[in-house]
Amino acid sequence: MVLPKKEILHRMRNLPVGDPQNLVITPLLYRKEKDRDIFDAESIDLRLGCYFLLPKTLDQPYFSPDKRSATSLHVKVHVPLGEFLVVPAHQTILGATLEFIKLPSDVCGEVLTKSSVARTFVVVETAPWIHPQYRGCLTLEIANVSNTPVLLYPGRLICQLVLMHVKEDAAVVPTQPTGAVVPILKT
Amino acid sequence: MKRAGEFPSSIAASRVATLLRNIRTFKALLRMVHTLVKPTSDAHTLTIPAPLIKVACTQLERMEGMDGAKVVVLLTPQLMYFQRPHTNVKRLAVRVQRFIPEATFPPRLGFIELPYSQGPSLFTNLVIYHEIGHFVYEELSGQSNGTSPVDALESARTECLEAFPELQAEPDIRALAEEMVESWTQEIFCDLFALRLVGPAFTFALVEILAMLDSLSRKRTITFDQEHPAPACRFGEHVKLLREDGWWEKISHISPEQKMLVERLADIPSTDYKVDEGPEYLLAPFLDKVIPAVRALVRQVAPEAAPLAEKFAEERRTIEECLGVGVVPHTNPPTAALNPVSIINSAFCFYLTSFPSVVTKFEGENVENNVEIRSKWTKKLEDWTMKAIEDSQVRTQFEGMQTDGPSKERNSPPDAQPAGR
Repeated sequence: MVLPKKEILHRMRNLPVGDPQNLVITPLLYRKEKDRDIFDAESIDLRLGCYFLLPKTLDQPYFSPDKRSATSLHVKVHVPLGEFLVVPAHQTILGATLEFIKLPSDVCGEVLTKSSVARTFVVVETAPWIHPQYRGCLTLEIANVSNTPVLLYPGRLICQLVLMHVKEDAAVVPTQPTGAVVPILKT
Repeated sequence: MKRAGEFPSSIAASRVATLLRNIRTFKALLRMVHTLVKPTSDAHTLTIPAPLIKVACTQLERMEGMDGAKVVVLLTPQLMYFQRPHTNVKRLAVRVQRFIPEATFPPRLGFIELPYSQGPSLFTNLVIYHEIGHFVYEELSGQSNGTSPVDALESARTECLEAFPELQAEPDIRALAEEMVESWTQEIFCDLFALRLVGPAFTFALVEILAMLDSLSRKRTITFDQEHPAPACRFGEHVKLLREDGWWEKISHISPEQKMLVERLADIPSTDYKVDEGPEYLLAPFLDKVIPAVRALVRQVAPEAAPLAEKFAEERRTIEECLGVGVVPHTNPPTAALNPVSIINSAFCFYLTSFPSVVTKFEGENVENNVEIRSKWTKKLEDWTMKAIEDSQVRTQFEGMQTDGPSKERNSPPDAQPAGR
């Protein structure tokens, strides 16, 4: 069952942060008089964060997914709110959501590209599943599949988070909360 | 240069000399571009505590007489924090501007060096505030006109030196004494300035740094060297100011080793202080005359600290609850931004007292002394803290955008004045 807005707000606002059913999405930036800015009936819009991992040109003609490559593949860049990052045509970068998320033990989630973003030929997230109890900013794979460079502004709405109830309490499922606040590369 | 020397004789020799001078100045500026400006422009892509530096710059800009002040960070391979004196840079920039009017230089720009090894960390990097104090001191010294805030301090220093007729007869010793008193004065000023801006978290950060530098052995804690006052004297001043500002009472609920050490050092009587390779008799007038003048100067230039302490007391519990469950500190419901100084102090107090409980919660029993695990979770704690600081800044900036201009389209960039990279 997809969590409706009312349930999402209840878990965020009424349950203490230590409660296993508490949901955290922070910072929530929206205009007070217009909640619908980020909340839809069954999803929440998330914003692009300020940290990016940009791919480097490697000195070997392939990428080997080992620990050494994981740290040498990207350059970390911080782009403050109000400035932008240029993603060249057919280039892929890693970003993260501005929002830090803590999912309850009985809720999982899925991240989807916002349709308005997809129509500019920017594709976000190809590994969209989020397990219960996840903590951290979501790492986003962002691809510019168009033929022109695209400007990415930190703080812009970029993806949607859909939350789903897990019938069996997933607290028994061993999950390692990462707590990452910047995009991370796993190998 | 060679070509300039071969200018036609119709050009007056004095004019050629001027042109040569200008070229030399321009070359010096280019050298400066490579040594200072380029690493500075690259620095944002490296790992530095960007949110912390932004908080410090915002606080600095809000101070009276510091409009438009900016601080940029350079990285150094040595374990030292350093404020690169900027007065000469400004002087050079003014000379360049005489013949390239467009080459303007920011009126107040400070250069601070951080050790590479400390780049991404938050807590030890709080000593940046001390270095910003050096920047402010240098700026204030440049404004000396007989009635400025630094002039009273200057007279106290002169009085301190003139109390000893023997110094007048020995120019070398007099020069050394002047230098030592000037250094000690600056160090005390910078400590108190940092405390006013960021509270007791600075004291704890300084303990960590001095311990790393092995400056907290019994002998060294009571010894003034040629540049730094004795740690016992410094921490004594810390405790005095934190008590006056209400901070000490607000952290009375915690008693980590660092706090107890600071209290022990503050209790050492000043009669035990020593001077390493310098005239010992300078100590008494420095403590009696100069330090009170430094305190007065800090009170005059740095903002009131009591409201920050009050805010910390209000927000501490919320921040610690979030950190305790591995979540970025935030208010619930998200009504307002948390104060960055509250976040820093609460997180540092949490780190000093409750950190093992977080490690145990996520990693299991008996692992809190495992260095690798401890270091991993320290980094996480610092990351969450910095994220909370950044969120607070983003929220403030976002609220400013809502009130300053018309509401924007759902997916439009958050700022109408783009600046790319």
